[in-house]
Amino acid sequence: MNAKIAVDKPGSFLLLNGDEAVARGAVEAGVNVAASYPGTPSTEILETIADAAKNFGIYAEWSINEIVALEVAAGASMAGVRAIVSMKHVGLNVAADAAMTLAYTGVIGGLVIAVCDDPAMHSSQNEQDTRYFAVHSNIPLLDAGNPQEALEMTREAFKISERLQLPVIVRLTTRVAHGKARVAINEIVKSSRKAEFDKNASRWVMVPSNAIKQHRVLKGRVQEATELANSSKFNVIEDNGKEIGIVGSGIGYYYARSVLDTSQFSWLNLGFVYPFPMEVFKRFASKVKKIIVIEELRPYIENNIKCLYPEILGKDKLGLDEIGEFTPDAIKDAFVDLELCEKSETQEDLDLPSRPPVLCPGCPHRAFYYALNTVNQFVVCDPQKCTGCVVCEYACSAEKEKVFNPIKSRIRAIRLDAFSNLAMTCRVCEEAPCVAACPKDALSRSTETGVITVNEEQCNGCGWCINACEYGAITLHPNSRKAILCDTCNGEPVCVQWCPESALSFKGRSTDKIVTGDIGCYTLGFLPPVNTVQTCLCMGAGISQAAGMIHAGVKDKVFAVIGDSTFFHAGMPGLLNIAYNKSNVCVIILDNNTVAMTGHQPTPGSGKNALGEQTKIIQLEDVARSLGIEKVEVVDPFDVEGTRKVIREVLAYRGPSVIISRRPCPLLIKRGPTREILKECNSCGVCVEEFGCPAISISPERAEIDPTLCYGCGVCEEICPFEVIRSKE
Amino acid sequence: MKLDIVFSGIGGQGIVVASDIFCEAALIDGWDVAKAEIHGMAQRGGSIVAHVRVGEKVQAPLIERGKAHIILGFEMLETARVLPMLNDDGSVIMNIKYIPPSTSLVGSAKSLNHEKLLGMIRDRVHTLYEIDGIDIANRLGNTLVVNTILLGALSALPENPVKQEAFEKAIALRLKGKYVNLNLKAFQIGRKQVNLS
Repeated sequence: MNAKIAVDKPGSFLLLNGDEAVARGAVEAGVNVAASYPGTPSTEILETIADAAKNFGIYAEWSINEIVALEVAAGASMAGVRAIVSMKHVGLNVAADAAMTLAYTGVIGGLVIAVCDDPAMHSSQNEQDTRYFAVHSNIPLLDAGNPQEALEMTREAFKISERLQLPVIVRLTTRVAHGKARVAINEIVKSSRKAEFDKNASRWVMVPSNAIKQHRVLKGRVQEATELANSSKFNVIEDNGKEIGIVGSGIGYYYARSVLDTSQFSWLNLGFVYPFPMEVFKRFASKVKKIIVIEELRPYIENNIKCLYPEILGKDKLGLDEIGEFTPDAIKDAFVDLELCEKSETQEDLDLPSRPPVLCPGCPHRAFYYALNTVNQFVVCDPQKCTGCVVCEYACSAEKEKVFNPIKSRIRAIRLDAFSNLAMTCRVCEEAPCVAACPKDALSRSTETGVITVNEEQCNGCGWCINACEYGAITLHPNSRKAILCDTCNGEPVCVQWCPESALSFKGRSTDKIVTGDIGCYTLGFLPPVNTVQTCLCMGAGISQAAGMIHAGVKDKVFAVIGDSTFFHAGMPGLLNIAYNKSNVCVIILDNNTVAMTGHQPTPGSGKNALGEQTKIIQLEDVARSLGIEKVEVVDPFDVEGTRKVIREVLAYRGPSVIISRRPCPLLIKRGPTREILKECNSCGVCVEEFGCPAISISPERAEIDPTLCYGCGVCEEICPFEVIRSKE
Repeated sequence: MKLDIVFSGIGGQGIVVASDIFCEAALIDGWDVAKAEIHGMAQRGGSIVAHVRVGEKVQAPLIERGKAHIILGFEMLETARVLPMLNDDGSVIMNIKYIPPSTSLVGSAKSLNHEKLLGMIRDRVHTLYEIDGIDIANRLGNTLVVNTILLGALSALPENPVKQEAFEKAIALRLKGKYVNLNLKAFQIGRKQVNLS
């Protein structure tokens, strides 16, 4: 037995986190089928079961999303075998449609829904409290406060589920799911169940006439569940004969025990919390004079008891709010305020810069974002280096007019102040004020390159565009009296080549496109200096948010970025919708061939399943075309200019389109040759301030690459305007 | 006996593995143990903190502020960040390496540098072991064993109740094939760093 949890020594200890403990509990209960979609902090449940699946004849799968996973588990349970489905709290929203009615039909084989909440949102978009989903759906819920409880509750939940014929939720929070502890293991019961489906239409076909009967059945089961909760071994009273009683659930209860002298209080640990075990609580309340409630997130216990015991000390009175997670310190402070424990002196935090999460070095998402941000480039001048020599003006006039005459130049050197000069030229503004100002419609902007051209037939030399441009980039030709401005020399500006001080560079980036985002590593593209992603709502939302903006008329074209796994999870309906409704959205699928953020689980595109077996590779481009998208392009984001070219093409295309940016996650492949920066580097900042690679740092003199952090992707070498980055090999 | 340790550094430095090995060793040695760690938004490059608690009975994995006995710092800025966790006479083992954060282009980080950070930490810590983990690891021929070198140093502190053999077993349990011997060597060299100073 290689798998970590596949140890057959009852009574021995394993070091397990809460997720692994749930997996062990399920294996001990003889689970037959397990399904899940990865989501922090729940991912390791299915991972651990899959790891041990072959040892115990379990079928385990990564489903494409949580509702599919729950439906798979429901099917298995209807066929009489035990099933577990695991997900993060927001995954339960995705699975909610199935869960709500599954409570009506009920189950046959024990069905456990393991749900991990994320108080403080270490890796989530909200901090909903699953205990209230239990209330909403009438599904019984056990709340685990440490890995040992997670194991025992999961094991027991299968029995409860079969007894009540209802699914049962086992709830963990991040600190339980990702906290490791010594866990005592029990005997493994090997399953000998044979799958059989009992065709019983009145139970399984939820048309109104059947559903209304099943709703009544459900209410009866909730009644029975209440009795189970009131006699559950997970609701534990520790009566120390003290005046003050502390009631809690989850990890908050254990924080309180770790910061207080436990012998000075009586304790009630609530583990079976829905249906609420009121009889247990009443018994506890009769033994104490004062009650303090410790629970993270919503005041669930508090609301259940407040009508009978209005004088309890809950969230408000303790100063423990329902936002964020508890810490031992916060709980201690609350008890210090009540004069129930002594304050300890602590030091202040040092004033230090934060270290926000970043896209990893070598990440292909960063390279794509860079291409998108710099799709329209223009000539930029560094005022610290510009000497005002006007060589650029000579170079420009020579190139465009075949004369050395600065008056005919499209670039203009100006003195900013006593110490600096600046050469100004067209910035290819997306909402170009010059184009808008022209009374003759003589100016137009290329959707591809952003270059603004003047139709000389229509231009009457009125000069309104000159006044409109805040960069002073437009002038009138001295002979023709028509407006002239930079055309970037087809992407190879002559002025840049001639500047003797290397003050000019052809770069420039704009973040004035609208780019909706989604959920995955690539969400981090909202952070500076990348600043590309502008929304993150829920799995799959970006595509449809972009469509909504388009139909509201906000812009001509909106981009939506989504990862490969997220696309399979929730992006396909949105893509079909933009094809059907002709929305001018460009969907960018960032395909790194894995679910990277949760720890590299396989995707339908990776050719591997949860058990590590080969399976059919589902090609994203086939899916996109089959959903009605005619314009589908595949790019290699490490070929930055090639990627820009495709983006320009798509900018000019009318209608829904897809760009698949394909490169594997660098953490899964061998590192490339480390890059180094030559001493000729002039510290222009493109690699740090615009590209944003965390392996590169910059000083006023030069940039430097940390070889221990560099993954050797080589994109910095490609984008360095001065060609001073090279491979070490 | 109670021992509370804070592991602090940056994603990718091997903090999860090192703290796992410590817990596994404590378990082998017969202690109760609990650990909290955060798998944050980024796979690499963000702050990572793990709390490890060892004792006869451990209630919950998070350590109270000002109560940690030891800080094992993998990077200087991240070590400085968790200093308020340390009790008054606690010890710090720190890898002498400053990796500037992405925010270092703006604000207070701009003026921060290696010397300044080191000064700040020396001022606040009573017992500080400074270890050039990267240099030692390079001499061992693999930069990826810095975490095991630091773990070795941690194991040599007088506060640590977990026996050396337990660590060796835990390393063999947690790591794969050819890396076991390399890491056992790194562990031994790490132990010497504390014994020397």
